Amino acid sequence: MISEEFEFRAPTKLAEALSLLERYGDDAKILAGGMSLVPMMTLGLVRPKTVISFNHITDLNFVIDAKDVIRIGAMTRHDTVAHHDLIKKHLPLLATAAVGIGDVQVRHRGTIGGSLAHADPAADYPPVMLVAGAQFRIQSAKGDRMVKAAEFFTGLMQTAVGAGEVLSEIHVPKLPAGAGSAYLRLHRVEGSFPIVNAAAVIEKGFKSARVAIGGVGESAVMIDVTKHLSKGVSDQSLRAISDAAYDASGDAYGDLNGDTEYRRAMARVYAQRVIKAAAAQIR
Amino acid sequence: MKTPVEVTVNKKKYKVEVDTRMILADMLREELRLTGTHIGCGTGNCGACTVVLNGETVKSCCIIAADANGQEITTIEGLSSSATELHPIQQAFVENQGLQCGYCTPGMVLSTLQLLKDNPNPTEDEIRHGISGNLCRCTGYQFIVQSIQDAAKRLSNGGQPGASQ
Amino acid sequence: MKYIGKGIPGKNNQILTAGKGTFVGDITLPGMCHLAVVRSPYAHARIKSIDTSAAEQVPGVITTITGEEIVRNTKPIPTHSSALGEKKFQFYALAIGKARYVGEPVAAVVAEDRFTAKRGAELINVIYEDLPPVVDAEKALEAGSALVVDEWGDNILSSRIEVHGDPDARIKAAAGTVRGDVRTQRYTGCSIEPRGYIASYDRYRAKLTLWASTQSPHSLRLFLSETLGLRESQIQVIEPHVGGAFGLKLPTFPEEPLICYLAIKLERPVRWIEERTENLLAGGHAREMRLAFEAGYEKDGRVTALKVRLLADVGAPSALCGWGMANVAAFLIPAVYKIPDVKVERITVVTNKCPWNAYRAYGKEASMLMLERMMDMVAERTGLDRAEVRLRNFIQPNEFPYKQVSGASLDSGNYQRVLASALEAADWSGFPALQASAKKRGELIGIGLAYELTPEGGCIPKSSLLSAYDGTRVQVSPKGEVTIMTGVTSPGCGNETGIAQIVADELGVSPDIITVVQGDTDTCPFGLGNSSSRSVIFGGSAAKLAAGELRDKMSRVAARMLEVSPEDLELDGGKIVVKGAPSRSVSFADVASTIYRDAFTLAACDEEPGLDTTRYFRHGNFDAMNKQPDPEGRLNFYSTWPNGATIAVVRVDIETGMVTVLRLLSVHDAGVLINPMLVNANLHGAFAQSLGGALFENLVYDEAGQLQTASFMDYTMPTAVDLPNFETKHEETPSPFNPLGAKGAGESGISGPMAAVAGAIDDALRQAGLSVHVMEMPLTPNRVWKYIVAAKNAQRGNPQ
Ligand SMILES: Cc1cc2nc3c(=O)[nH]c(=O)nc-3n(C[C@H](O)[C@H](O)[C@H](O)COP(=O)(O)OP(=O)(O)OC[C@H]3O[C@@H](n4cnc5c(N)ncnc54)[C@H](O)[C@@H]3O)c2cc1C
Ligand code: FES
Ligand code: FES
Repeated sequence: MISEEFEFRAPTKLAEALSLLERYGDDAKILAGGMSLVPMMTLGLVRPKTVISFNHITDLNFVIDAKDVIRIGAMTRHDTVAHHDLIKKHLPLLATAAVGIGDVQVRHRGTIGGSLAHADPAADYPPVMLVAGAQFRIQSAKGDRMVKAAEFFTGLMQTAVGAGEVLSEIHVPKLPAGAGSAYLRLHRVEGSFPIVNAAAVIEKGFKSARVAIGGVGESAVMIDVTKHLSKGVSDQSLRAISDAAYDASGDAYGDLNGDTEYRRAMARVYAQRVIKAAAAQIR
Repeated sequence: MKTPVEVTVNKKKYKVEVDTRMILADMLREELRLTGTHIGCGTGNCGACTVVLNGETVKSCCIIAADANGQEITTIEGLSSSATELHPIQQAFVENQGLQCGYCTPGMVLSTLQLLKDNPNPTEDEIRHGISGNLCRCTGYQFIVQSIQDAAKRLSNGGQPGASQ
Repeated sequence: MKYIGKGIPGKNNQILTAGKGTFVGDITLPGMCHLAVVRSPYAHARIKSIDTSAAEQVPGVITTITGEEIVRNTKPIPTHSSALGEKKFQFYALAIGKARYVGEPVAAVVAEDRFTAKRGAELINVIYEDLPPVVDAEKALEAGSALVVDEWGDNILSSRIEVHGDPDARIKAAAGTVRGDVRTQRYTGCSIEPRGYIASYDRYRAKLTLWASTQSPHSLRLFLSETLGLRESQIQVIEPHVGGAFGLKLPTFPEEPLICYLAIKLERPVRWIEERTENLLAGGHAREMRLAFEAGYEKDGRVTALKVRLLADVGAPSALCGWGMANVAAFLIPAVYKIPDVKVERITVVTNKCPWNAYRAYGKEASMLMLERMMDMVAERTGLDRAEVRLRNFIQPNEFPYKQVSGASLDSGNYQRVLASALEAADWSGFPALQASAKKRGELIGIGLAYELTPEGGCIPKSSLLSAYDGTRVQVSPKGEVTIMTGVTSPGCGNETGIAQIVADELGVSPDIITVVQGDTDTCPFGLGNSSSRSVIFGGSAAKLAAGELRDKMSRVAARMLEVSPEDLELDGGKIVVKGAPSRSVSFADVASTIYRDAFTLAACDEEPGLDTTRYFRHGNFDAMNKQPDPEGRLNFYSTWPNGATIAVVRVDIETGMVTVLRLLSVHDAGVLINPMLVNANLHGAFAQSLGGALFENLVYDEAGQLQTASFMDYTMPTAVDLPNFETKHEETPSPFNPLGAKGAGESGISGPMAAVAGAIDDALRQAGLSVHVMEMPLTPNRVWKYIVAAKNAQRGNPQ
């Protein structure tokens, strides 16, 4: 039960929302799907003075084919991300990541923007955003800027979105023709956050290869493994990737789902598995 | 702080004033006296509070009541007019012992409604995934899965019990 | 038409599925206000002062209360039994002087609405002096440890050493020994409905009514009457629909007298519905035990001696009955096995964690896990099949009733038959071939076997919560309608249906025309509610006795109406029929009508008017075999002894440690099955909770005594995807000690799967050449991975 009183606002236009955000600044919290924010308010962990719901703003809920990129509105629900034809076609790993989030009800309500802004270190989307080279549109009453995925996640549950700002859309480049991609997660029970997760994109002919791993640091880590895969997938290249994943997860945290050592060991396992799975998808 | 909310629940329009701190599950239970929607965790994990919002199942403990303004909701009470005239899904739960204490049941039934709408002929694995947002501590899920298999048959059979298995 | 043995769906299914059940949170009363509890944020702290003034200034706050007022106005909350030799403590509804676990009620607020109550509670300013917390049972035993209860001088609630024979000598003489250190983690039932109460006081009748999500309304009334100083007749406890309990809703929680006291004081109805975090912090925990064992065996696989040191961390002292689980864990050893020389040292320790409350399986699971791990190890050492080793140690079918070394008196069983049936159903001998082909595919699978003994119908001397009897009243109305009122309750487990079936058979009517009333102290005979699978055994047997009396009376009247002798009649299909002459009958309703409306007619004039009987049933197996206590001072704690064999097949991902249960099969002996569908339903639920404990669930405290798993975000429970389809079969060896032959089936299925999964994991890893004996629950991927890494390192360290 939420104990502390707050003011509730439900603008219907983005512009209106941005001016409210400007007015309330740090005292306000954006309410998207509420799947993270409302439980935290219920537990008393977050106590905003004002809650600004984005659920009545219709112009942030879209998936658009924009030439080289797929533009996804921040208020697009996980369920849409999981099943949208454009995403399934051009970014199958993103659809896979979305399908694995929580459960049916969570996916019906939770949003891609909310999840990215929440920036849980083991959330499903971040590794995908890193390997796909996504860009994030951040707007405020005063500005409108694009931020690269690598600069978006700035720390533990921290992003480049500042006070008065909102993540309004995500631009994810379509995978290059013939590229192989994969997304994998290790979890305790169905519907729980991953312990670790991993995404990979490998260009046809192994021209480039990237793998990103979540759950092994304050935010997901990305490794360019192109050099290891110059001769394709082999035991030797996998071992090198495994070592690189281990090195990249030096800041792994430990919690109830996995201690530091375990997470680093799983970084090895999942880096290899996701590379193998992605390589198998190269057309 | 109070705020006015207008909602359509089970095809009926309601106008209430609620505390902004109130979650949708509480509004349904306390303000509209629709107590079939239960609360088991308040953090989006158990699914006891599942309702249908604009045609999709959601966890009503994670929705601020005021945010439901203008929306359309179906609760378990919307499925049957009384305990003797049940929806085929409910009837399947009753006959297959798809419940014990019954606390998770309204949520399970609504998740089943969603599942069978999206996928009228689910496999066992699809059924298990379809209800993975609903925790049950009594049944071990087995008779729930059987109930859903039976419900699928009933629905494809005009609500009548399916042909013998 | 007979109903016993039929799989009839639960009588409450319709109303519950319609969403029209009445759980305590669904009830509102005019003028109702709301309680919020201030809970200690510290594991161990002295309460220096409490300032309620800020809360009292919040508009809508009606009153605040602290321990001081409680001590002045209520008596200590009694414990359920005083015969178990535990140290004493004075329990109150609010902490007095010291808070002993995070979540302990320290103060409370009542307000016009729930939000205000909770906000008010947050504004109560308690000044604490933080004390060093006791969070580890081993460390709690060390000299110089902080003390949970200063007056006790140590942290031991109770301890006992039980020795039979000379296990030390036998172990020395044995062909070999095995050792292990089994740990079951702290976890709990987590019924999806949390606790909740509404108390209302009628000043004019001086009567308190409490609607409670409880399992034992009469016991609760007794405790409340002592605590509040009211006569029992001044209290009515009503148990509405309960959304699962599993033992954890047994009285007495501090909130129970607290809310009643406030309702009386305010003369207004007060409601409290627990939030999940409160439930996880203070709703009762269970299981945290450590069993270090050493066993001696002979070459033929017989275990001849066993020594166990059992250390239980029962959390803070409380008026709940959970700590008794440690006693039961010790008492059950050596269960189904004939081990002549046994020593069990039990140490029950208090710590600054949530108190234990009873949880399904009540300690049996811990000793079963230990015994089954031991048997697996003996099999490995002797090279015998795991099933064979168990067979060689079982009590024989012709030895029942069997008196165990612990004092346990086992009523009936045929473990050989049950095990054989399970091995066959699982194709035990065909498994190695499956395993080999899985290995070719790159999959590691393993099979495990466990035998569980799950005694039921608990009985503790001088207890107001557990005794081997109960009462049931059966009424037939003038219209021939049947009502059963019983002292046993059904917090969502279906015994109302089974009891209706029993009465239906006695009276020859359909269970559909029978109303079962439970959980109301003003309507039902005194009884001890629901726990220990006692409801059908005791409530059902009492119902059979009561219905039998009515049947006899109705037969006598019908005999006169039909001009035959009563022995020639049978009751069936709503009629009383002359045997062999189906056309000669009177309807059940006509006979009832005659008795009530024609009491002076020839057919009825020799009978006492009315059809209304209450009978109490006292279970055998106590006076028949051993008076309590027996000449050696031992107690038998249980009436009936259900048992079963469980076989699990798992897949282990050797890289991640992830365990997937592929198959879970159980053959179970619950004696005569009253309703096989409901028995299976209960077993399935138990399997889920067992696998939950084996693989997923864990209540974790940090060193400061803070609970790390205080919401369902962190307390992981299995979903439908995480569990397999369960296979169940039944063997029936009736209990000779009750008229139904039933042995109960509420707790069965908790112990077996846990132990079988452990065995299956070992077996899977053996395929990879690793020697692992998993001992510590839960077997999360992280933990299994650690076992794997340790085994690999051990292999590398000493290459053979
Ligand atoms: C049972 C359960 C299981 C879950 N399992 C998973 C899982 O497996 N994997 C996973 O990744 N997630 C999981 N989640 C989290 C889920 O994905 C949430 O939907 C997500 O984390 C938050 O998205 P939301 O739209 O619900 O945002 P909200 O909860 O509304 O907001 C989250 C935070 O982001 C801020 N915010 C929201 N939108 C924006 C925006 N556009 N711009 C700037 N700030 C914004 C809010 O102010 C708030 O601080 C689970 C949640 C639940 C309840
Ligand atoms: S109460 Fe909403 S998910 Fe548990
Ligand atoms: S039936 Fe009790 S929780 Fe599902």
